Amino acid sequence: MEVKELSFEELLATKVPEIKVVDMGVKYKGHNPESPTFVTIGERIHCIAPSIRKAMDERDPEPILKRAAEQIAAGATYLDVNIGPAEKDGPERMMWAVKLLQENFNNVPLALDTANKKAIEAGIKVYNRTNGKPIVNSADAGSRISYIDLAAANDAICIALCSADGIAKDNEERMKHCHNMLERGMSLGMDATDLWFDPLFLVVKGMQDKQMEVLEAIKLFASEGLKSTGGLSNNSNGAPKTVRPIMDSALVAMAMMQGLTSAIVNPNDLRLMETIKSCDIFKNHVLYSDSYLDL
Amino acid sequence: MALKGLDIFKLSPKKNCKECGSPTCMAFCMKVAQGAISIDKCPYFSDDAKAMLNEQTAPPMKTIAVGSHKLGGETVLYRHEKTLVNKNLYAVAVGTTLSAEEVDAKLADLQKVDYERIGERMYVEFVFVANTQSDPAVYAELVKKAAATGRDLILECWDVECAKAALEVAGKNVILDGATPDNWEAMNDIATAAGVVLGVSATSLSDLYDTVKKLEGKGNKNLVLDVTGKTAKETLANAVLVRRTAIKDGDRSFGYPSIVNVARLAKGDDHLQTAYATLFTEKYGSILVMEHMTYAQALPLYGLRQNIFTDPQKPMKVESKIYPLNGADENSPCALTVDFALTYFLVSGELERSNQPVNLIITDASGMSVLTAWAAGKFSSSTVKKTFETLDIENKIKNRTLIIPGKVAVMKGEIQEKLPGWNGDVGPLEAGRLPKYMNDME
Amino acid sequence: MAFTPKTAPFSGKINAVTLGTGDKAIVIGGQNVMPFYTFDAPIENAPKIGVEISDLAANWDAPALNEFYAGCTTMVDYAKKAETMPGADFLCLHFESADPNGENRSVAECVADAKAVADAVTMPIVIMGCKNIEKDGELFSKIAEALQGKNILVLSARNEDYKTVGASVALAYGQKVGAETADDINLAKQLNIMLKGLSINPENIVMNIGTAAVGYGFEYVASTLDRVRLAALAQSDADLQMPIMSPVSPDAWSVKESTATEEDEPAWGNREERAIDMEVSTAAANLTGGADAVIMRHPAAIATIKKFITELV
Repeated sequence: MEVKELSFEELLATKVPEIKVVDMGVKYKGHNPESPTFVTIGERIHCIAPSIRKAMDERDPEPILKRAAEQIAAGATYLDVNIGPAEKDGPERMMWAVKLLQENFNNVPLALDTANKKAIEAGIKVYNRTNGKPIVNSADAGSRISYIDLAAANDAICIALCSADGIAKDNEERMKHCHNMLERGMSLGMDATDLWFDPLFLVVKGMQDKQMEVLEAIKLFASEGLKSTGGLSNNSNGAPKTVRPIMDSALVAMAMMQGLTSAIVNPNDLRLMETIKSCDIFKNHVLYSDSYLDL
Repeated sequence: MALKGLDIFKLSPKKNCKECGSPTCMAFCMKVAQGAISIDKCPYFSDDAKAMLNEQTAPPMKTIAVGSHKLGGETVLYRHEKTLVNKNLYAVAVGTTLSAEEVDAKLADLQKVDYERIGERMYVEFVFVANTQSDPAVYAELVKKAAATGRDLILECWDVECAKAALEVAGKNVILDGATPDNWEAMNDIATAAGVVLGVSATSLSDLYDTVKKLEGKGNKNLVLDVTGKTAKETLANAVLVRRTAIKDGDRSFGYPSIVNVARLAKGDDHLQTAYATLFTEKYGSILVMEHMTYAQALPLYGLRQNIFTDPQKPMKVESKIYPLNGADENSPCALTVDFALTYFLVSGELERSNQPVNLIITDASGMSVLTAWAAGKFSSSTVKKTFETLDIENKIKNRTLIIPGKVAVMKGEIQEKLPGWNGDVGPLEAGRLPKYMNDME
Repeated sequence: MAFTPKTAPFSGKINAVTLGTGDKAIVIGGQNVMPFYTFDAPIENAPKIGVEISDLAANWDAPALNEFYAGCTTMVDYAKKAETMPGADFLCLHFESADPNGENRSVAECVADAKAVADAVTMPIVIMGCKNIEKDGELFSKIAEALQGKNILVLSARNEDYKTVGASVALAYGQKVGAETADDINLAKQLNIMLKGLSINPENIVMNIGTAAVGYGFEYVASTLDRVRLAALAQSDADLQMPIMSPVSPDAWSVKESTATEEDEPAWGNREERAIDMEVSTAAANLTGGADAVIMRHPAAIATIKKFITELV
């Protein structure tokens, strides 16, 4: 496929091709940004998956819509849209993907995930905020700190990874990064609650002794009234397929106890989603009814 | 969500000088919020900022005492969140516009309502004495009469000289409801000198707020806020916004108890006053001023108040004893139930409707309902036996019929074992069926 | 430093439900603020008042109330008279006499009454049963069938009978259905979910979350109302956004304060006045907590509550 590189100004003048709305038999039920319930960000639209990468390259809606429909049906709050590094046609790709997903699924809120800042900005330009602000995925306290500026300028939420160059060595360092990013965001007029701090979940096979420290960091965020998120399933990388949902569920329950407010997860992991819903009941975020798992 | 560390950061010097030992002001403020470090470690925090932070750690609403009564001190907007602390109190209004006879009649009337309900004395706690003229002697005379009832007083008086005269004869248990944006300074001096609570009113919330700020500036925090507006709608808005500002937004300048003058909102209409008093019992009136307090009004209003201000953690209990109903005597049958207040009211009400004489025996079940108490072992043949011994029922009552709640029919055999000579009779499952049951029993 | 109150509506909203047809149709619900919080946002539909007409009304013992209905013998007479009552917005036909443990009137007779009333009046109609699950089930279904097209509300479907009542009343005959629970917020939510699960449109559901007279455990009612409303508005819980109707009069008129004679309680004064104040206070307490409609009995109490609502909205 031939790709033409456009300047940002040119791109804004360019119309993204009409999106065809396909009935996937799934409706996004809406999201109230004020709700205290746990926010799940579905991770399955990711360029690391060959089928998605191919679909992105060829602007083929079908595989993307299919994965989106599965995640929405499973109860994802947000969908992450990872378009890869997208150095050449990032803006156009992101605009297409945002419109494709939002127009097909009742303006499902999205996390825009790429190393191409122009692509994120372009995505936000066509983004519909009915069900929540867009999430910029992600800033860190090092070379990607300017993603906070991008989020601030576009009234977006920003995932803020509490590391600079490499994993923070302890929670003192994590909190230093956290405060640096918080200060930067607030000085640019952001609400503190629009920065979602990511402690960086670590893999158990290799960094088992660091797990409680990560959980402690979440508690520190929460005690300061801050929101948090992260790639939770990283903990179980390399573990057998049958074991991963169990580890992820246990960790999410522990992390929610500490005050974790969101996670980037595979919403099609039923055990994990049921655990999250149950924790929301215990945390009194959702009023209990016998049918709570079906809602 | 409260961002405490961030609130402190907003007041911080933001110099990042590191003199406190923290890498940034943000980090320092977060530590202060956690109590890990004293704010005094920072040499640049202004005194104003520190005072503001101290203020923010105080409770959101003050508890104001008048005599033995306590007002305010609430920490939540809704009772299910925790509990409401101090029940609303009632006042009946008299004023200088009434004739001496009318005043005497009202003062006598307001003392008629005085009864006990589930261990609580129900009466009109305050006399509200309104002044609309300028002769200090006339007002003092009226206040003296009101004080003679022994009830605490609310002196609604905006005239400084009249207020002075009134305070000389009013005693100590008084609220001087007289400060306005115009006279606050003089009223503050009188109230402070007399050591009484000062009531503040204004025509708008903004003026009320400013006046409170000025009084607080003079060091007076012994205040109540008269939030009565021109209409019921305006008054509700005032009452809610004042309380919400204090509890939810943490602005302590509105963290004072309120006075709502229901009599003024519905003059001459007792039924409408009942409706408004109901509204302001639930929505943030600390003292409700009524034109009268008849039994017809008192029965629902005090009942509601008792409900709303019940601590959700503590069940309402009635005393364990024999309650003779419908003229029952030692020859009448006995009915047994638990001491949960709601159960007592339901069962006694239905038994009364039956018009059959019956001795209702309330057994101590820690204030639980019948089935809950039974399941918890608080309502068993042993506890019933103990009640019979404590209350000496064997000797006090000759009839040997004992009606047992239908829900615990299983207890019948055991009770008959533990209480030889008594005939257990299983009552209906629902209290509503008691009248029919009692009449069929003949 | 000027004071500016923080006021704002919630993002959640109570469903607006229409009862009745034609000029006299009423809408209950629709607001996105706590009860009477007009300073947060305007309240479009003021709470409504229904007049209770019992088929045992002949036994009512209150001089002014009886005077109002003087000469009325049939339910139709009562209903037509009730329509003239100042403050009345709808009629509630209460079939107490159907109770198998009471008068055990037949379903056919009750349905005939309901039909006759519906033909004679224009105000929306709400149906209350006798609390006997089996009898009510049949009664509700037959009345809903006979009054098709009148857009009536049937109080109520309960946990025990929601399937049959919901299916017949709302699905087969297109009427509105009430979901009744007793001070149990989790069950209230679950019952709404179940009714929705029968494919009943949420706009056809009204809730009765439990009742009590003031002084008689009203703290449970008050807290359930607060919690239901906060869940509906602050948490946007769609399964609790149904408007609430509170039958006030049956409780208010049966407690001791309203029934004790003047000989029994000489200090308490006139019995009818006591009952009126008990009804006024119980209705006001329900409305303050979040009821979108109350069912009441006495003209003086209804006039008072009408004034109360008008002054506050």
